[in-house]
Amino acid sequence: MVERQSPLEPVLQVGSHGNFEHGVDIILSETQPGSILQLAAWPGEEKKLISVIRTVTGLALPDGAGGGSTDGARSVFGFAPGKFTVVDEAEGLVSAFAGAVTPAIGTVTDLSHGRTAIRIAGPKAEWVLAKFFAIDFALPAFPVGAGRSTVHHDVFAQIQRTGADQFDVYVFRSFARSFWKALCHASEEVGYEVQ
Amino acid sequence: MSPRRSDTGGRIDRLRTIRFTFDGASYTGHAGDTLASALLANGVSLFGRSFKYHRPRGVLTAGVEEPNALVTVLRGEVREPNIAATMIEIYDGLTAVSQNRFPSLSWDVGAVNQLGGKVLSAGFYYKTFMGPVFGPLKGTRFWMFCEHFIRRAAGLGRAGTAPDTARYERMNAFCDVLVVGSGPAGLIAAKAATDQGARVILAELEPHFGGSANWSGEVIDDMPAADWAARTAGQLEGHDNVRLLPRTTVWGYYDGNTLAALERVTDHKENPGKGEPRHRYWAIRAKTVVLATGSFERPLVFPGNDRPGVMLAHAAERYANEYGVLPGDRIALFTNNDSAYRAALALKKAGAAIVAIVDVRPELSNEMRKLAGEAEAEILAGHAVVATEGGKALSGLKVQRFDMASGALSGDARSIHADCLLMSGGWSPTIHLASQAGARAEWNEALQAFLPPKPTQKWIGAGAFNGHFKTLEAILDGRNAGLSAVGATGTPMAYPSIESLPGDPRPAPVFEIKAKGKSFVDFQHDVTAEDVRLAHREGFISVEHLKRYTTLGMATDQGKNSNIPGLAIMAEALGKPIPEVGTTRFRPPYSAVSIGSLAAERFDDIKPERLTPMHDWHVANGATMYAAGLWYRPMIYGLSGETIEQAYVREAKATRESAGIVDVSTLGKIAVQGPDAAEFLDRVYTNMFSTLAVGKARYGLMLREDGLAFDDGTTWRLGEQDFLMTTTTANAGKVMQHLEYFLDVIWPELKVHVTSVTDEWAGAAIGGPKARAILAACLTGTAVDNATLPFMGIVRGKIAGVPVMICRLSFSGEMAFEVYCGAGYGTHVWEALVEAGKPFGLVTYGLEALGTMRIEKGHVTGAEIDGRTTARDLHLDWMLSKKKPFIGSAMMDREGLIAPDRLELVGLIALDNRPLNGGAHVVEVLDEANPHDSIGHITACCYSPALGKHIALALIKGGKARHGSRAFVSDPLRNRFGPIEIVSNHFYDSDGSRMHG
Amino acid sequence: MLITCPYCGPRDVLEFTYQGDGNRERPQPASQNLDAWNAYVYDRLNPAGDHNEIWQHSGGCRSHLRVVRNTLTHEISSTTFARGDHKSAARHKAGGKS
Repeated sequence: MVERQSPLEPVLQVGSHGNFEHGVDIILSETQPGSILQLAAWPGEEKKLISVIRTVTGLALPDGAGGGSTDGARSVFGFAPGKFTVVDEAEGLVSAFAGAVTPAIGTVTDLSHGRTAIRIAGPKAEWVLAKFFAIDFALPAFPVGAGRSTVHHDVFAQIQRTGADQFDVYVFRSFARSFWKALCHASEEVGYEVQ
Repeated sequence: MSPRRSDTGGRIDRLRTIRFTFDGASYTGHAGDTLASALLANGVSLFGRSFKYHRPRGVLTAGVEEPNALVTVLRGEVREPNIAATMIEIYDGLTAVSQNRFPSLSWDVGAVNQLGGKVLSAGFYYKTFMGPVFGPLKGTRFWMFCEHFIRRAAGLGRAGTAPDTARYERMNAFCDVLVVGSGPAGLIAAKAATDQGARVILAELEPHFGGSANWSGEVIDDMPAADWAARTAGQLEGHDNVRLLPRTTVWGYYDGNTLAALERVTDHKENPGKGEPRHRYWAIRAKTVVLATGSFERPLVFPGNDRPGVMLAHAAERYANEYGVLPGDRIALFTNNDSAYRAALALKKAGAAIVAIVDVRPELSNEMRKLAGEAEAEILAGHAVVATEGGKALSGLKVQRFDMASGALSGDARSIHADCLLMSGGWSPTIHLASQAGARAEWNEALQAFLPPKPTQKWIGAGAFNGHFKTLEAILDGRNAGLSAVGATGTPMAYPSIESLPGDPRPAPVFEIKAKGKSFVDFQHDVTAEDVRLAHREGFISVEHLKRYTTLGMATDQGKNSNIPGLAIMAEALGKPIPEVGTTRFRPPYSAVSIGSLAAERFDDIKPERLTPMHDWHVANGATMYAAGLWYRPMIYGLSGETIEQAYVREAKATRESAGIVDVSTLGKIAVQGPDAAEFLDRVYTNMFSTLAVGKARYGLMLREDGLAFDDGTTWRLGEQDFLMTTTTANAGKVMQHLEYFLDVIWPELKVHVTSVTDEWAGAAIGGPKARAILAACLTGTAVDNATLPFMGIVRGKIAGVPVMICRLSFSGEMAFEVYCGAGYGTHVWEALVEAGKPFGLVTYGLEALGTMRIEKGHVTGAEIDGRTTARDLHLDWMLSKKKPFIGSAMMDREGLIAPDRLELVGLIALDNRPLNGGAHVVEVLDEANPHDSIGHITACCYSPALGKHIALALIKGGKARHGSRAFVSDPLRNRFGPIEIVSNHFYDSDGSRMHG
Repeated sequence: MLITCPYCGPRDVLEFTYQGDGNRERPQPASQNLDAWNAYVYDRLNPAGDHNEIWQHSGGCRSHLRVVRNTLTHEISSTTFARGDHKSAARHKAGGKS
């Protein structure tokens, strides 16, 4: 099996960086999930799609825009009306959905290569992300599991909160290196560790 | 201890000595000092020279409104001019220099301008720069010649030329309540809202919270006001739901309760922390804003009011109470209101002699007489200051009897010996942000001030901002504001106990004393009362015009001191009451903002780089990268010693002789999926897609609604309901938006989803006579012969273990294939193809060779689809289906779009065998001296290795009809003229035999 | 300026792209009425007051929105999905002649 190449490879430098002498407040990593899918329902078919997602992944989606959940290995969240991002550590999730999402329900689009998943964790995760995105990262406004679509200049991002102090940011692969470098730069003042 | 520093008092840390320099001289101060307080403590009174007249100036204020004491701060090679000394916190090694003086601050040759006061009056620039009426430097040319010298003489500090290496960052914040200002009103507002559990941000432009509590000398709840403020701020600090932002100026109030603030993070630090930004730009979205921005004390306008040693009364009070600094030993005061009496007493207590209190009001309250008595000051009621004396420091003043009603002076002038004169012209609420938010201020006759308007956005005012100048009122106001900001109604609270001196906040309506000599209204721009009257005499009756003509209020202090006095003088000249003259609307920024903070992200992300999956391979293998939009693409893979032209000619030639491979991952790719996908494509493309078989691709053209060409590309039918659309690299985003618009707004009934999959696929185009053999050598799982993979056919297979999808299509005129695989495998597949191609002489080629081959083939791109051309102009009318309507079909046949003299696509060959230039015009008659009658222009050009000639694509009037005729290129800018032949745009493989194989 | 996306909530205007006057009526696809096409392609209302506009949340969920914005105050009084409730679907069915 050929290994997938990460766009971050030459710039991902494991270790502590920036102002870390008094400890690091940010941990950055690339999660490299095997599968990243976009599922989209036709208007009126959202409930059916949500139930397919539950059947295939075991993850229940809470009601409402941007609702999502994660069990560590698999994650799902809404990012647009009737549209969901489903992520799995393992490859091959697309085939599990291909049959289950019938043409009457909606479509499946495989983005496993096209998106890069960057995890930012630590007590200053909200602080650093707020430098880039004009959305409210406070826990009450952005609960664990929920997803958001937003943009920093030309870099589109889907962001899922996967912990009180942890966010998974999905960016276009071609922008990933540029965004990673910016993220490192912005994390310097609080000290960061790359894992 | 410094000569003017008291032994006790203030919040400076006398145990910590800080060393700094000003104009090269070393001084010491203490932690907590500003540059202004430290210099005053050292007995320095001369801080700078004025803008126009180069008059010596001292320090007028103690805060952000300072117009005079502007200095340049040097940090290494970087110089930052025009910083108020009152806002600079000193640190070890601070290096500051004065401005607008030559050769030195105390001996300045520019001061000669004072003698020419008449010439430099209001409207100087407009009246003067009209130039001689004859001669070689006629008209404004003469003044353009003089500009350099004039600019050197006028103006403030000199900007640096060294690059600013500091870091600036942007920060987004959200809150329920933003409190602007941390005086007693703001502090209590923040506390009330915080106690209700709201998310609160408290912004204070000074380093310490507390505002006037830090120097009022009052007692709140049985403790000094300064301690009370520190305790309250400390209580706030302990809460998770509040963010305290000291050194943060909220400078802009925008729509949707979005506010802009500047946090000065490291300006006060000798050594900033690693990665710490110098300034942070805060974009704050607040549900409600509490404006507790306080008020400004106004200067009085009288002759010599700008002499060093003349200062605002509260500023001196502040220097004494907050910094333990006395601005003078013998202090006189000049006032139209009660607040100066408190200042007098504070300075007396700090050790100064108060020689006189000159009050324009004939009658004074017993309370004020009592305060003056305590200060041991002589009261001169019904008097006014008519002159000041001294050179670079004040030595005395002259007073005369003054009649408030008529403004008349009478009696003999009396001299008073003093080294400091404090003035108070009443107080103006700081309503800038409210005004920015869109409402008109209202004049309050009793307070002689503009009060905040009715809110037009979600804000609540508190304290002196509301004209509530007493601390008790401010605290009650603040609590109400904090509670109502979160929609709470608090229980009545016990009134805080406040010990303060008495005083009536209503000033006498006196702004100016008319006597002989220059009376300054705008200190920073050297605008005098006489300038304002002159402007009026010359016909400027609107405040807005007055402002521009005299430049009143247009300096870095933005009229914080001069606004109301200027308006009052104008009103008097017009014979109208102040409210009828009106005030100007304040605009952002409230105070000076660093450009760096506005640019904010100084690292690459403001223009992120987009990299293809094979980017690192290209760089490692000698590619010269070229920025195409945000993408980086190989331009050439140059061999050592090769020029760009030699490299692309070699690459193109080798491709046509054997084979070449190019990275096409940047092409826009859009998944078009759903039961109505084919129908949708029929509507957006000019040609049919519903008839396309699964496993086939088709070249498509899109028009805009107005019938002009929009974009082209191939679309592949991967399944019955599953298409992969490709777009040009440049238009990928626009096409996506175009499709989304039609699906959302025009045809919501269509069941189609469009998704950008540009980044999902790595793409490599391999073309040339050996391309098929190379593929066959490394591809498994499928054949690539004509039967299995005909032109525009699609097959799937594996290369080096990776699944690939291959479509046979060509833009170069060679037999070519686009090989797509998952982006993560891009380099792996690319390397396998390059390796397989070695025995066949495969070359990698870049954008230059790609462009060359497409020009030879006569294929159009963005240079020809330029938003002005139609399908017919580009000879793509064969793609316009007559069987169905499509976007643009109704508008494309309009008269002007089918006219015979439109510019049409042709090919050009240079007959003089010299290079052609893009953008050059084509003419029928060559007239180098006076080029005229262009019949079109060149869109793209190259040296063609296939033809051995310099060729171009061009848009020419009449187009095809001119094939075979001669014309000329006319390019006067680049001095390129010469004969050309107009030919078909299909220079190469015009019958398609090579491409179709 | 903030626009409240019905899906994403209030977002900064920087995340949105203005997509034109929302009062335009696209003629039936096969219509040959040039005046109607001209009006659709070129005519724009420019009221001083409430204006019906199309915005795309291009930096978010990418939905197109109908926004009623006051051009004097920038106040936004309503924001809905441009797709609406699909009631208009029949009217737009492809290829209809008018």
